[in-house]
Amino acid sequence: MLLVGWEVGVRLSGLPAFVLPPPSQVARTAVEVAPLLGPDVVTTLTEAGLGLLVGAVVGLLLAVLIAAFPLVADTVYPLVTLTQTVPTVVLAPLLILWAGFGLLPKVVLVALTAFFPVLVAAVTAMSAVDAEHAEMVAGLGGTRRHQFWLVQLPASVPGALGGLRVAATYAIGAAVVAEYLAGQSGLGVFVQRSRKGYEVDQILVAVALVAVLTGLLFLLVDGLARLATPWQRPSLPSRPGRTPL
Amino acid sequence: MTTSLSTESPATSDLALGVAGLTVTFPGAGRRDVPGVVALQDVGLQVRVGEFVAVVGPSGCGKSTLLRVLAGLTPTGATVTGGAVTRLVNPAGGPATAWMPQRDGLLPWRRALPNALVGARIAGMDRAVADERARALFDEFGLAGFERSWPHELSGGMRQRLALLRTCLPGRPVLLLDEPFGALDAITRRRMNAWLAGLDLAGHGRAVVLVTHDVDEALLLADRVVVLSDRPGRVVLDLPVPRDGTQDARRTLLDALDPHGGS
Ligand SMILES: Nc1ncnc2c1ncn2[C@@H]1O[C@H](COP(=O)(O)OP(=O)(O)OP(=O)(O)O)[C@@H](O)[C@H]1O
Ligand SMILES: [Mg+2]
Repeated sequence: MLLVGWEVGVRLSGLPAFVLPPPSQVARTAVEVAPLLGPDVVTTLTEAGLGLLVGAVVGLLLAVLIAAFPLVADTVYPLVTLTQTVPTVVLAPLLILWAGFGLLPKVVLVALTAFFPVLVAAVTAMSAVDAEHAEMVAGLGGTRRHQFWLVQLPASVPGALGGLRVAATYAIGAAVVAEYLAGQSGLGVFVQRSRKGYEVDQILVAVALVAVLTGLLFLLVDGLARLATPWQRPSLPSRPGRTPL
Repeated sequence: MTTSLSTESPATSDLALGVAGLTVTFPGAGRRDVPGVVALQDVGLQVRVGEFVAVVGPSGCGKSTLLRVLAGLTPTGATVTGGAVTRLVNPAGGPATAWMPQRDGLLPWRRALPNALVGARIAGMDRAVADERARALFDEFGLAGFERSWPHELSGGMRQRLALLRTCLPGRPVLLLDEPFGALDAITRRRMNAWLAGLDLAGHGRAVVLVTHDVDEALLLADRVVVLSDRPGRVVLDLPVPRDGTQDARRTLLDALDPHGGS
């Protein structure tokens, strides 16, 4: 419906193709450039995947530190929040200055966006540990160390994975922005090149591709999260059924 | 070598653990002018080595609270006064007590067998020994075949038996059991009762405190039955169970539990 409206709208209004091409032309362009996009897609996916991984590990480690040493929380939390207030556009050139034009600054940038939701979700889950479980461990003579390994850490896993799902939706976008600002390969570079040539149809192809890749990455992370938490019931609650008369 | 053997079997009159003048108050619902709930008032309880003590009382009278204090736990947000807990039994190192909560406290992210091993792991038991003992107890408790089930796949009664297994496995001298058989059918309950009765408490220098609602269960298992009054909980009866003919003891207990009842 949307696509048909767009097609008809563009044709009737007579907008030039360098402002807004009709979807039929975008589709044609997509087929044309598809074989050339392979390396760019690989670059972007590598950056997003590695960044997500690094971000998840760093986020979980920081969450563990914060849970284990409440004093750390007071110093680390403001710092962490600060990293989230600096816009990517400012951060990217700095990272490139320090880490060069290669893969590293992009991975760092994705990790910087990805670790925050993981951290917040894991810390929340750890502080909301079921008193029932903590008491059980204490009643069997468990120390704080036992509490941490037996209860706090495993209890934080579903929360952290929830944060990772959120992070997965940002990862591709963050990688593309980083490439756009300074890169040699990747979807962001492709967009940059297309913009210089006023090839709006190519930009739209890239936009659609980012959406599709983000969706796929989300599904992948979601699937892995399910595998990692086999004890969680399927979220469908049993409903009071209506018995036929 | 031989001298250490002389301390093996302690005299049965030794105190295992006890409280004296225990008062526990829970704050009223977050406001200062709302009076708190006095769960226990001036409660004294002594448990000797080798003794099986049952605690009965109406719902909400503070039985679980008493058991928590005996386990060395502070009930969340409560003010505890005069609860001098003495624990004399302490052989293999570590705390002497193992506490089983009224709600089973099973960890949802561990399968049944790893859940059963939580207590053993805390006690630092050898992994292989604990594993073998756990499997034997799974058989005895009628849980065989469910070692790999998640807690949410078990019935309420199975969860309770698993929680009991977890509590008994490390072999701590004092077991503190909070209504361990509340969700069991009559037959399974008899089997579990028989298992508890078969523990040679005196021979191993151990003790059990069992909270229950079932007067007959208390009479069957315990050497002594302690009756708590309605809130605030006080000890209204501390009755040694006669070895032969519990009919009189049963009547005395029911009278103490329901002082305003008919008859
Ligand atoms: N964490 C808590 N916060 C506030 N009040 C509490 C708390 N735990 C227990 N109480 C109160 O203390 C009283 C005694 O509770 P407790 O759980 O010890 O009763 P119980 O004898 O074990 O009851 P039941 O037989 O139903 O298990 C109750 O009135 C309850 O309202
Ligand atoms: Mg209770």
